[in-house]
Amino acid sequence: MNTASGFIRALESGTRHLFVKRFTLRYPEQKLKFVGDGYQFDPKKGVGIAGLRGRHILFHDKCTGCQLCSIACEGIAEAIAMVKVDEQWKQNKKSIMPQIDYGKCVFCGLCVDACPFYALYMTNDYELSSYTKQHLIYTPSQLAIKPIDNGEVEIKIDSRGASHG
Amino acid sequence: MSSLDEKIEEAKKLSMHIVKESEEEKLMTLSVGPQHPGTGHFRFIIKLDGDYIVNVDLDLGYVHRGEEKMCEYRNYFTNIPHLERPVIHDSANITYSYSLAVEDLIGITVPRRGQFLRALTSELDRINYTLYWLAIYGIFLGHSTMFMWPAADRELVLDLLERLTGHRITHAFNIPGGVRNDMPNNFKEKCLSQINYLEKRLKEYEHIFYNNPLFRQRTEGVGVLSKEDAIKLGVTGSVLRASGVPYDIRKVEPYDIYNEIDFNVQYMKTCDSFARAYIPFLDVRESCHIIRELLDKMPESGDVREKLLSNIKGPPGESFKRVESGRGALSYHLVSDGTSRPYRVKISTGSFRNIIALPFLLVGSKLGDMPAIYWSLNYWPIEADR
Ligand code: SF4
Ligand code: SF4
Repeated sequence: MNTASGFIRALESGTRHLFVKRFTLRYPEQKLKFVGDGYQFDPKKGVGIAGLRGRHILFHDKCTGCQLCSIACEGIAEAIAMVKVDEQWKQNKKSIMPQIDYGKCVFCGLCVDACPFYALYMTNDYELSSYTKQHLIYTPSQLAIKPIDNGEVEIKIDSRGASHG
Repeated sequence: MSSLDEKIEEAKKLSMHIVKESEEEKLMTLSVGPQHPGTGHFRFIIKLDGDYIVNVDLDLGYVHRGEEKMCEYRNYFTNIPHLERPVIHDSANITYSYSLAVEDLIGITVPRRGQFLRALTSELDRINYTLYWLAIYGIFLGHSTMFMWPAADRELVLDLLERLTGHRITHAFNIPGGVRNDMPNNFKEKCLSQINYLEKRLKEYEHIFYNNPLFRQRTEGVGVLSKEDAIKLGVTGSVLRASGVPYDIRKVEPYDIYNEIDFNVQYMKTCDSFARAYIPFLDVRESCHIIRELLDKMPESGDVREKLLSNIKGPPGESFKRVESGRGALSYHLVSDGTSRPYRVKISTGSFRNIIALPFLLVGSKLGDMPAIYWSLNYWPIEADR
């Protein structure tokens, strides 16, 4: 390779890049769109359903307080604690439900795989920052809230390169 | 006595206290690291004679996490999330060989579609890791464009991984028995378009980086590791292939469906830093081909996971499996005593085996060549320390 032509080629490639679209996600004005409503698991088939593994969602009307999720997390992060709730559900005699500490959770989703009653899924909510450690502990009632999903940007590829929307 | 004689007398007295420099003291000691000389905490102590390196002492172990010991206290499934931490950008490969070893121990085979999905994440992660490594290589040679471009284009692969596995890095996707979930809708089209675009971008990398005379001057003929030395030192992966040995675990010991995939093993005979920088790039290109082939040959539907008990017991015995990761052979040796926890887990990583070559390459070269040689070794300290 000739030195001069090498330099010219490199400069040309860099200059051409001036006309390529900017490939930057302007978070938080723009947010990415994810597939589905988050990672879910079908215990009958034994496979998951693809989706982002964000914070969990707990369906109080399905949770039986069986503690399998908490046992699954024991060897991983010990993020799940079973706590007493005031509600009365006929499937949940002991009235205990999982409470998750997001200061410890690694978002592996193995607790979702462990739940046999379709009660624990994951959602697209990934913005969990807080000022105190205490606020990272989500109680069963906080986990029941469905997050607002406002992501709409996807990677688009056209003749001027890839960009976010 | 004249004043001159007095002065000489005085100077003689003074010089009695001056100690002559010994050979040893002429050398300067330079400590590179331990605060993040690039990819992680790691130090090497260099002794310099002027501009030339005369001695290199590696000081590893700053990020030792006791992964192997931790494995002994967790069952075969809960080992997955912590095992992928040592190399978060290539987490699909580090859990791949573990899953293979556990499956070998228990004696199950993964459904065919699951095998394809595993190979797919493995290839995507290889691209992801290599682009990250290339970005750092670029910035350490003072080429900031080469930092920006791969760092941005990695997004294409990260986006695909996020769709497929649920996370951009540390996927916890490969588990003993298969993969956690099937592909989402429209994944195939999305994957093809983004991989094709990435391949187009790779051509530009060649123009601005690999064919750039400045980069070539800094790396060509620098840090030559001959074929014989490479084999003797036991290096692996791109470092071995850059020394002219066409050795790739995917070809030599095909795992899962790799024996059905048609691809070339990339190797070069120049044995220098340039070859070691170029081989991973060629691997990325090859990975793009492999991904297209995998998507093409993948069965349309079917199981992706063999159902196992969550506290499965391994029969007493041993198993050994390895895969080709972004940094070379990554192998697991599992020993089971019949309980639900492994008795012993030994991880052998490419990073550790490649860094052994560093003192041999650095001694005799100039200090200015140090970044070009160090980075070409494709080293990831956290993985090496485990
Ligand atoms: S996602 Fe993983 S770490 Fe988090 S609570 Fe569930 S099992 Fe524990
Ligand atoms: S979330 Fe599922 S696994 Fe956890 S206690 Fe409730 S029913 Fe059991």
